[in-house]
Amino acid sequence: MKKLCSLFVLVALVISVGTLSATPGWKPTKTIELVAPANPGGGWDMLCRVVQKTLVDEKLVEKNVIVVNKPGGGGAVGWKYLEGKKGQGEFLAATSTLLMLNNLLGSSDLTYKNFNPIAMLQAEWIAVAVKADSPHKGINDLLTAIKANPSAVPIGVGPTLGNNDHLVFLSLAKNFGIDPKTIKFIVYPGAGGEIVPAVLGDHVKATVIGLGEVLEQHRAGKMRVLGITADKELEFLPGVKTFKNQGIDLIFPHWRGLIAAPGLKPEQIAYWDDVFSKMVETKTWKDQISKLGWTNFYQSSSVHTKYLTEQTEVFNDLLTTVGLKK
Amino acid sequence: MQEIFANLALGFETAFTLTNIIWVFIGGVLGTIIGMLPGLGPATGVAILIPITFGMNPATALITMCAVYYGAMFGGSRASIMINTPGDAASIVSCFDGYPMTKQGRAGAALAISAIASFIGGMIGMIFLIFLTQPIANAALKFGPAEMFSLMMFALVATISLSEGSILKGIIAITFGLMLSTIGLDALTGITRFTYGIRSLEDSIDFLVIIIGVYAITEVYKNFRDLDTVYNLDAKSIGKVAITKQEFKQSIGPMLRATPLGFFVGVLPGMGATIATFMDYAMEKSISKHPEKFGKGAIEGLAGPESANNACSCGAMVPLLTLGIPGSGTTAVMLGALTLIGVRPGPLLFAQHPDIAWGVIASMLLGNIILILINLPMAIPLVQLLRIPNRLMLPSVFGLAILGTYFLNYSSFDFILVMITAILGFLFSKIDLPIPPMVLALILGGTTEQTFRNSMVLSDGSLSILFQKPLSAVFLVLAAVSLLYALIKRRKKAA
Repeated sequence: MKKLCSLFVLVALVISVGTLSATPGWKPTKTIELVAPANPGGGWDMLCRVVQKTLVDEKLVEKNVIVVNKPGGGGAVGWKYLEGKKGQGEFLAATSTLLMLNNLLGSSDLTYKNFNPIAMLQAEWIAVAVKADSPHKGINDLLTAIKANPSAVPIGVGPTLGNNDHLVFLSLAKNFGIDPKTIKFIVYPGAGGEIVPAVLGDHVKATVIGLGEVLEQHRAGKMRVLGITADKELEFLPGVKTFKNQGIDLIFPHWRGLIAAPGLKPEQIAYWDDVFSKMVETKTWKDQISKLGWTNFYQSSSVHTKYLTEQTEVFNDLLTTVGLKK
Repeated sequence: MQEIFANLALGFETAFTLTNIIWVFIGGVLGTIIGMLPGLGPATGVAILIPITFGMNPATALITMCAVYYGAMFGGSRASIMINTPGDAASIVSCFDGYPMTKQGRAGAALAISAIASFIGGMIGMIFLIFLTQPIANAALKFGPAEMFSLMMFALVATISLSEGSILKGIIAITFGLMLSTIGLDALTGITRFTYGIRSLEDSIDFLVIIIGVYAITEVYKNFRDLDTVYNLDAKSIGKVAITKQEFKQSIGPMLRATPLGFFVGVLPGMGATIATFMDYAMEKSISKHPEKFGKGAIEGLAGPESANNACSCGAMVPLLTLGIPGSGTTAVMLGALTLIGVRPGPLLFAQHPDIAWGVIASMLLGNIILILINLPMAIPLVQLLRIPNRLMLPSVFGLAILGTYFLNYSSFDFILVMITAILGFLFSKIDLPIPPMVLALILGGTTEQTFRNSMVLSDGSLSILFQKPLSAVFLVLAAVSLLYALIKRRKKAA
């Protein structure tokens, strides 16, 4: 009951947020709002909720922290909302490669330049997996089979083409000397929820998907992970090789982080750099992300901004090569 | 078999602690209220709970979330029946006959049968969940793109029977719905279609917005002329929340038929309660001896879908508990919350955490009983709302509908959309174009197209895949038969 009451207090606080102006040695002066630009349950939402829990439980901030879901437009709705909070340091939104991809694929005008990147916080690795009784034991087996007869090896991907997972498989194929256009992708708009049954039911021969979505299937011996995009073998997944170990030079973190509203003062950004550099070292954070199968992957605001600049170039090349960029 | 009972005993042991029973109660009440409010569905309800579940042990957390889920399933149809505004997508069908019943002064009976049907659907669904989880999960895996497409075709053809009068009008309505469903981003190519540069249309049209428009707001327009009406109801009949023996007899068949259908649709990936309720309604109407009464307050048309709805939410637990993959939006949220507290449902859940898996199943049995005990008495104050005259009622309905629209996507563009569709709905009713087939086509359109295109990619463009897969062929034959049947029946009537 106490928890329920505190929820109501939280809600009341949201309603009563005031206005603020930033001061030197800045600190939040009102409720901190974490914007998840998606429905509850997805990766961005989970990130916001874990950050919320850690900031509150570890007493890293003095104000209340709430999560606000603003789904739509592949993140655009939530990010637009953040864009409108110019100069207000209390508003942060979850982000990922989609902020770049949406812009490169022409479905959004927003880029990281419209905001103040605050931090990269975690990464998930992307896996290629098959059903347990599949003849393919490693990524090279699968790619050889595709090279021989692409039409016999349909690959499940979702929710849309042009996402991280799809790009990973395209890069793998390109590296292996397969014409990316010949690969038979079956697109499942319901993503993991539809792809995993499709693999188990033998409707597709393999999938490229977030590791977390197939982890339990792999552990239960129903599916087999052929390789992951990590830089080194993962402690919690012994025996599963990276693509790099199997001779394909591809490291690809599916990362998530936070951006802040545009027009922040340096001291506001410095405040968050301080908070998040402490947060990623806390036990609560480490516990929570390991439960989710995520890897700690922290970049401070300046490092992250540089990374975003570089990655935009990389994606631009890749999308142009496979003909997705118009 | 013995193992199942031993497990169930373990489940009851976990579920029947005082804390858990209290949480089932709180969750059930919260869920019912959330379900009643248009725009707020079970997924939102469960999401609200996430911060509270942080401090719970995993079994209690899952039990509470399930209680909210079922509560919303019970509550969803209240607003459909009372004010023709679906509380969530799964209770659209409850408008078809529930609201006409209210207009005839049978709101009490409608509310009672909806609670009873929900209870029966939920209880039998639970029994399926206990005994048939594994075989049904395996059967669902057989559904690939081709099978799904043929199932969709069957559902679409079956809705033609939903249309009153001419089959041509039904086909026009379906075509219109299918056209609406193509608006927005195409997942297979990433290209936007028919958006005419309007950014808000890229996410495609949310069918719930259309539904609030064509049902709730259209109803406001229709009643606008007589603002002082209080439905002209007999005051005595309003307050009675009970059904007659005759009504129960009429409803029991539909309820028992709806449960297995709803359950199985719930298990299928990418299907949901909305589709289950529509399919059941179409099925009941086509096998009924007096199909002309459907849409005019037939109690069968309310009882069946209500059972299907709750059985479907049991079915949606199957992929969650056996494969660790969500069968619906709500179970997706539950999966996320569970992961945060350290349990990852998956193929190993029953083996590694039998207390949790079976505790939840046991608590759902308990939850169903608690929910019917909450819902039947709650209907009594609810029906009193009908005493409010139109001049107060219509603005409230309008306000609720607008609020619900905003809650869906937090998009102001949806206000424009909802008003346009309301006018459209009004025009449809003036020229006797049936609305249900259009709504169903809009809901199924996306999946139908995706599964067809995926089938074509798989077969390298050959239509033969639809007939080579036995299950797919069966559904196509069923579709053809039901179309022929509808044609013949109408010809006979005309003759």
